[in-house]
Amino acid sequence: MTHQTHPYHMVNPSPWPLTGALSAFLLTSGLIMWFHFYLTLLLTAGLLASMATMFQWWRDVVRESTYQGHHTPPVQKGLRYGMILFIISEVFFFAGFFWAFYHSSLAPTPQTGGHWPPTGILPLDPMEVPLLNTAVLLASGVTITWTHHSLMEANQKESTQALAMTIALGIYFTLLQMSEYSETPFTISDGIYGSTFFMATGFHGLHVIIGTTFLTMCYIRQQLHHFTPNHHFGFEAAAWYWHFVDVVWLFLYISIYWWGS
Amino acid sequence: MAVAVTSRLSRLLGRSRPQLGRPMSSAAESGEGSARMWKMLTFFVALPGVGVCMLNVYLKSQKEHERPEFVAYPHLRIRTKPFPWGDGNHTLFHNSHVNPLPTGYEDE
Repeated sequence: MTHQTHPYHMVNPSPWPLTGALSAFLLTSGLIMWFHFYLTLLLTAGLLASMATMFQWWRDVVRESTYQGHHTPPVQKGLRYGMILFIISEVFFFAGFFWAFYHSSLAPTPQTGGHWPPTGILPLDPMEVPLLNTAVLLASGVTITWTHHSLMEANQKESTQALAMTIALGIYFTLLQMSEYSETPFTISDGIYGSTFFMATGFHGLHVIIGTTFLTMCYIRQQLHHFTPNHHFGFEAAAWYWHFVDVVWLFLYISIYWWGS
Repeated sequence: MAVAVTSRLSRLLGRSRPQLGRPMSSAAESGEGSARMWKMLTFFVALPGVGVCMLNVYLKSQKEHERPEFVAYPHLRIRTKPFPWGDGNHTLFHNSHVNPLPTGYEDE
């Protein structure tokens, strides 16, 4: 008997979990070496190792699924649970930063003027670029839904167009935020306001970049005809992640940009 | 008590199940055609919305704003430790026109 009689995926031994763990160690110790001793060797090694791990691990997932057919419905169901659980963990990650923001802004200390925003802080006008950013991300939510439906209706031309528009909107958001970061009169070193603002929006921006990268990988796979109208979980996972990024922005916009101004 | 609540809940879920029999349907369209709805939403709602916000930003940016006078507040421009780049005294996105150093604007 050389074939399996069950629908599950018994993954072949792989070195990537080990290289991933090692790269995590290099990244963390690398950050310490950089922040405390101004040395960047470990950090650079960690970044290279983690990039290589991600590329090779996910390349193997694509090989196992699209090319070897291991992703049966029960396997896909497990992947769905996995992605959902991961996104939930990310929700908790951001919850921490929102906690910090509300902790400091709901009871402003006398040292910063007894009010929020603190004395000397000129907050950004929520009706200028932040509002544009909100429109951009909401629009990208519409275009990614168009992408998904086109994919399910086997419309290659339109799903490509819609996905390209989604990625373009993601890049536009990132560029707008980079411009905002360069133009704000307050910085990360401007007390608790600066810290909470830049930690929350900074990590959000990083997640936008991650989401855009994930979508770009989907675009490439789309061009290689990896997705079928009924089986395209890689795309769905990217879409879920993208919607998550959009929702986090909405919370940021309402809490920090609008209420906090 | 808990048993009664859970059985009521499961009956509620059971009743709503038949309506979930059309997985591809959105509010108005079914299967074919839902992509078209999202395409229309993209070009007639989402992208014009972005366009309006872009126009708004452009118009607001035309107004020249004064930069606030520098006051050396102790709770701002904190330098507990030098930044691990450059001279350690400039933030990552430093803009000398709008970001003063702890000692004041660089161009004054």
